[in-house]
Amino acid sequence: MKMSAILKKEFLVFFRNIGLVMFILYAFTLDIYIAGKGIKVTPRHVSIGYVNEADNLIVNKIISHFHSPQFKKPKLFLSEKALKNAIYNRKIMVGIVFSKEFVKNLISGKVAKLQVLIDSTAAAQAEVTLIYLQNILMNFEHKIKIPANIDIIKLFNPNSNTKWFMSLSELMSNITMLGLILIAVVFVREKENGTWDIMLLMPVKGSIIIFSKILSQVLILMVGITISVGLIIFGIFNTPINGSLFDFYLISFLFSFAIGGIALVIAAISKTILEVAHLTIVIMLPLIFLSGAWTPLSSMSPFIQFLSYFSPLRYYIQATQDIFFRGSGFVDLLPYFGAEFLMAVILFYIGYRKIGRLF
Amino acid sequence: MEILKVKNVSVSYGKKIAIKNASFSLKDQEILGFIGADGAGKSSLLHAIAGVVSFDGEIIYKNYTYHSPKEAEKIKNEISLMPQGLGLVLYDFLSVKEHFDFFRDLRGLKKDEEYEKRLLKMAGLYEFQDRLAGNLSGGMRQKLSLILSLLARPKLLILDEPTTGVDPISRAELWDIVNEMREEGMSAIISTAYMSEASKMDRIMLFDEGEIIASGRADELIENIKDYTYEGEIESKECFSFNKRTYCLKPLNLKKATPTLEGVFFVNALKKGKKPIIFEIPKKQIDIPNIIVEAKCLTKKFGAFIADNCINLELKKGEILGLLGANGAGKTTLIKMLLGLYPIDEGELYLLGKRIKSYEDRIELKSKIGYVSQKFALYKDLTIRENLEYFAKMHGLNMSESSKKIKEYSQMLGFEEYMDNFPKEVPLGINQRFSVAAALLHEPVVLFLDEPTSGVDTVARSAFWKLIRKLKANMGISILITTHYMSEAEYCDRVAVLKRGVKIVDDKVENLHKKYPGLDFEDIFLNIYKEKQNK
Ligand SMILES: Nc1ncnc2c1ncn2[C@@H]1O[C@H](COP(=O)(O)OP(=O)(O)OP(=O)(O)O)[C@@H](O)[C@H]1O
Ligand SMILES: [Mg+2]
Repeated sequence: MKMSAILKKEFLVFFRNIGLVMFILYAFTLDIYIAGKGIKVTPRHVSIGYVNEADNLIVNKIISHFHSPQFKKPKLFLSEKALKNAIYNRKIMVGIVFSKEFVKNLISGKVAKLQVLIDSTAAAQAEVTLIYLQNILMNFEHKIKIPANIDIIKLFNPNSNTKWFMSLSELMSNITMLGLILIAVVFVREKENGTWDIMLLMPVKGSIIIFSKILSQVLILMVGITISVGLIIFGIFNTPINGSLFDFYLISFLFSFAIGGIALVIAAISKTILEVAHLTIVIMLPLIFLSGAWTPLSSMSPFIQFLSYFSPLRYYIQATQDIFFRGSGFVDLLPYFGAEFLMAVILFYIGYRKIGRLF
Repeated sequence: MEILKVKNVSVSYGKKIAIKNASFSLKDQEILGFIGADGAGKSSLLHAIAGVVSFDGEIIYKNYTYHSPKEAEKIKNEISLMPQGLGLVLYDFLSVKEHFDFFRDLRGLKKDEEYEKRLLKMAGLYEFQDRLAGNLSGGMRQKLSLILSLLARPKLLILDEPTTGVDPISRAELWDIVNEMREEGMSAIISTAYMSEASKMDRIMLFDEGEIIASGRADELIENIKDYTYEGEIESKECFSFNKRTYCLKPLNLKKATPTLEGVFFVNALKKGKKPIIFEIPKKQIDIPNIIVEAKCLTKKFGAFIADNCINLELKKGEILGLLGANGAGKTTLIKMLLGLYPIDEGELYLLGKRIKSYEDRIELKSKIGYVSQKFALYKDLTIRENLEYFAKMHGLNMSESSKKIKEYSQMLGFEEYMDNFPKEVPLGINQRFSVAAALLHEPVVLFLDEPTSGVDTVARSAFWKLIRKLKANMGISILITTHYMSEAEYCDRVAVLKRGVKIVDDKVENLHKKYPGLDFEDIFLNIYKEKQNK
């Protein structure tokens, strides 16, 4: 009863703020569309692995062209299988297999075939890496005047559709941002309008007020996600979904609460909505950076990779990509659900303690 | 010499016409007062003159004619407007001193130490220059906005209810300043809800429902109502009573009294066929202890500053206790401690016989307490009906109970026609009544009202006090109320006076009258404040 009163009130307030509603609609539709269509990414610290079956100097020559800052030092693998495994586990993004054939053909002036494996779940980076690879080989061709063909095997995202990735990544960044803002604002608005005291004087437990307020915004987020996935992701970009949509909603729901915990901390320390906006940006950037949305985790330093375990967005993105592109089922996703749930519980507890002090 | 000519000015917001065809002129060095009920159109006309809203008609300032805010840009450095509302123009995170720097820069003024010091002293803010505006009391905020509008020494000063929530001592000082600046060539248009202030102006214009219905000196306006003014207060369906006078169109068997400006409102209302609201409040017995609130040496500190210093206070069952004191004396702080909105630094608090220590101690008591804050804080994105429904539900009323109660109170308190408006769209007096309704829905046994009548028009205030006393008489509710209208203190059973965080008087109103025979309560208050010089 009391919860429904709070929910109703928060929905009314939300819909009467036309500006906010428009912004949210924009972030869930047009912005996702633009991101899917547009962004170009230069590779940074892309991790490369290779198999050198030929054990030839030419191979080392080619490999030496992959250097920082675009690439990390290429890693040697003993078999194609080990390389594939590393890619599956996201340790490596691009794998090159130098077969005996390749080197032989290269030397003898025939058409040489090079096999490249890429983790296309980070399609943008993979694609640009390929262009680099082509350029490097091209330079070689000029010197030794032999044609080389690149045989690309794309893992997990056979069509390597950049827009699918970019739009999903953008959606997840936006959910993070909007989750932080919306949830922090339901509290801070009460401070700004001077209704905080009135709220405290209601004969309702603080925990119920806090929970209902968050729930109202999580539901708004869910509606936004539905609009975005339906209209843009499926509707315009025709993104395939190999796993189950239910799993995606479940992980989104868990993620919203993890974000809600952080938003509570923001709400506790901000006095104005402007402060919320500032803090959101400050907090959002590392969250996204640590999640692997922009730069694949496998190409980050071990310390940062370790830190990334504390970003709720990491599990969200990985689970989402797995649901959409790898078609992972519920059981395969359990680790993500578990981790996200844990994050939600921990962050929520911290946030709750922090804002609870104001009640 | 005329400095301002207003010709057929109308202002409307959508369909609603706020002021229609207003015409008047203002002489050099003249101080003109605007009085009238809430929503009568005073603010709209003031805003049109200051060139901040668009209007129809023509305004001529000196020799410059303007028809729109854009055209008014040219003269804005000679005009200064202070809008209504508790410190709306302030930035919560700037200190008092920084506000001065900011406004000086904004207006391109040279620093005048002496003058600024005077303004600060007048507002009682001299010692608090480093305090953030957000931490000032309501009245202190009002006074800060006021002196900021005086900073530029405007040629034409436009003040929209500048003294709302300002204590009597500062009000007197404000008039000294305005008079002095008039000597230096300033003219002013000031709207006010304090009739004692309006009497001091050169000329007064009375507004009613978007029209100027009378204008003249105070004594001229009063002249018209002397036939309808009687001594004492009575309970009647056809006459208004307020502040020891009764106003009635039909002859009464009472002694005639010398009218005051306040009477103009009542007589005007009567002439338009308005009747006082009769509040039908069912009689009820409530079973509560005799002492509702007992505070023992309550203390609140903000850093090194002591806002409330060891205050002892008792509120008995069915009692109206007036909490008086200058701006910043610690009234709101004390109420917030009683409500549990501020932690108590020292002292003990008992509510309804129960020692209050923690959050948990309070939660069940919350349903027994009603509170109206100094800012009438309600949800501005919800209509009045939605606001009330929300509060009712939060207090655990079910659908049918809640709609019944809401209907009852909206009729009882006379805001039924505004139910589907947003709080911003209705006059302050209506907001005040609906805040009280929101605080009453759950039938509390004690009400805390922080300046519920500040900025509310005379007729609405008289209705409000009738309601309060009825609530007390019929429902046995105890009420703790703060006000800066000293005449309203007469309606309290007892008053406690705070000065700089210390309680200096706590006595029955009748006893104070005995102690200071022949004085009205404003003078009694000023006397008390002068006598008890703490610090
Ligand atoms: N959060 C705060 N930090 C610092 N000082 C504060 C804070 N809140 C209030 N004060 C100071 O405490 C004093 C008492 O303020 P309070 O609001 O109780 O006054 P008041 O009696 O209600 O005045 P008014 O009649 O103007 O409403 C003021 O000097 C005010 O500036
Ligand atoms: Mg106050």
